[in-house]
Amino acid sequence: MAYGIQIMLKWGARGGEESMDIDILCKVVDNYGDIGVAYRLARSLSETPEPPRLRLVVDELLAFAALDPAVDPASACQRVHGWEVFSWKEGGAESAAGEAIRAAFKERRPRCLIECFACGRPEWLEAILFDPVSEEGCLVLDLEHLTAEAYAEDFHRMPSLTRSPLVRKAMFLPGFTPRTGGLVMDRAFAISLERARSEEGRRGLRRELLARLAEPGSPAAGAEASFWFAVFSYERDYGRVVAELSAFVGDSPILALVAAGKSQDCFRRAWEAASAPFPALFLPFLPQTDWDAFLAAADFAIVRGEDSWSRAALAGRPFLWQAYPQEGRHHMVKVEAFLDRLRPHFRPEAFATLAELYRAFNGRDRDAPEAAGGEALLPVLRRRDELRDGFASFAASLARGPDLGPALLTFLGDLV
Amino acid sequence: MVVTSDLRTGSVFKVGNDALVVQKILGQKTGRSGMVTRFRVKNIVTGQTSDVALDAGEKFESIDLDIFQMKLSYIDGDTYVFMEQETFEQYEIAKDDLGDNAGYISVDDDYPIEITFYEGKPVGITPPILVERTITYCEPGVKGDTSGKTFKPATLDTGIEVSVPLFCDIGTRIKLDTRDGTFAERVK
Repeated sequence: MAYGIQIMLKWGARGGEESMDIDILCKVVDNYGDIGVAYRLARSLSETPEPPRLRLVVDELLAFAALDPAVDPASACQRVHGWEVFSWKEGGAESAAGEAIRAAFKERRPRCLIECFACGRPEWLEAILFDPVSEEGCLVLDLEHLTAEAYAEDFHRMPSLTRSPLVRKAMFLPGFTPRTGGLVMDRAFAISLERARSEEGRRGLRRELLARLAEPGSPAAGAEASFWFAVFSYERDYGRVVAELSAFVGDSPILALVAAGKSQDCFRRAWEAASAPFPALFLPFLPQTDWDAFLAAADFAIVRGEDSWSRAALAGRPFLWQAYPQEGRHHMVKVEAFLDRLRPHFRPEAFATLAELYRAFNGRDRDAPEAAGGEALLPVLRRRDELRDGFASFAASLARGPDLGPALLTFLGDLV
Repeated sequence: MVVTSDLRTGSVFKVGNDALVVQKILGQKTGRSGMVTRFRVKNIVTGQTSDVALDAGEKFESIDLDIFQMKLSYIDGDTYVFMEQETFEQYEIAKDDLGDNAGYISVDDDYPIEITFYEGKPVGITPPILVERTITYCEPGVKGDTSGKTFKPATLDTGIEVSVPLFCDIGTRIKLDTRDGTFAERVK
């Protein structure tokens, strides 16, 4: 690389050991997906044998606090789980907190910076990073969104540029193949998956979750043996899904687990309109690790976005992914790319049924409570055993691939 | 400052003290976080080329460049020779250095184009956003399909291949968008 120079990463002393300094930048665009990935990455990096010293700079601490109650949304500088957490916005403010944040980054200049989803860098950090009198270097990684498209392999680990040769930059793309950065496998999720692997463990996990979140004596409270159907999507008309679940009740008792957020009211409306045909548990907003446990324990899940998508993929249970809607229905390219990744793990007839459901559920221009599709859920649910084998095979292929946190550390090591 | 989304073939920007010229746009991807584009860039001073991926928001120092209007005089193998219209002085630029822009210009064009000079040396060109070219080969046109939504490959008089709507035929004159090489419209 013509513009690269050798940069010594700063290794800070911590308990007599040497550790790498990494700063994670995250801007919450909407919902909780961006901060969800950043938070999971931070946990994963901290679980590596030689954990880096982490600082997180986040623009919406309220969203972060929703995922992890240990975060104080009102504190611009705080220490959480051994990480330093800073407010992106306050760092640029003419306030005592702003000065403290800038001083912290001037004193310990960034050495490895991870920009989650091309979020850019706050102006106050730019000034420190590109200080003309400084001769210290920094590595910047642009951690991009998860995609199943082929370009993930092309762009992964590609060199990038900044305006200074001292600030080197590269791309890092998560993905579903060995030639990408893979998916994050954090310890808490791995434990939930392990528990859900055996029937006994699964029942135990379900009992714990219901004991905490279901009202005692309610139909949901004793539904640990039911078919668990998790719902977490964008806004849409759930009338058809509820109708097909009602028909499926004849095959198996159901418990619908409906996550807080955009889809909850939509699902509730359809469920109430159908006279509550099966038990449903309308969940409060859950910390990330609790929602992970639900996904691990579910028999079928509707998931959206990126973080829950990657969890569902790793869980090895049947799921329907709803992609973030993009202009000109560009999201359908992403849906087709994902279906192409799934295809080898299923028999043709089962795959055709599944693909039809994916296409119908995702085929919309925008999200709205009245947005309805022609999705056929019932044929998929009736093939649940066969589909479970396919999704388990897909998850096993992912487990053999890169674990994003360690892969990212290896890449940083290679760059040095 | 210049941001990545402003860069196109022929753009010059600075990394440290080095001046880089964009030779080619290799591909783009879109996602929720915006566009990431792969560029082939050349260090004007060292001549070294690299392929890099830049996200849309990255900012670079712009460079003071001299820009002159010239006409493409002739093409000698892989060398494009441009002529200043008043002094008749000639300047050569290698085809590789023109990148994708080489496919948008022809000696038949009757308009001048911008030649970018860095420290007295021509380093690239900026063609008009829309240029007219003639199709020299494509599969026969499909009458009645005027939607412009379905495309087929076509070779142009400059030798490059682009995608054109099904209704186009050999000899059809089209307008190309030089920012991304896409078909803009049929010349009426």
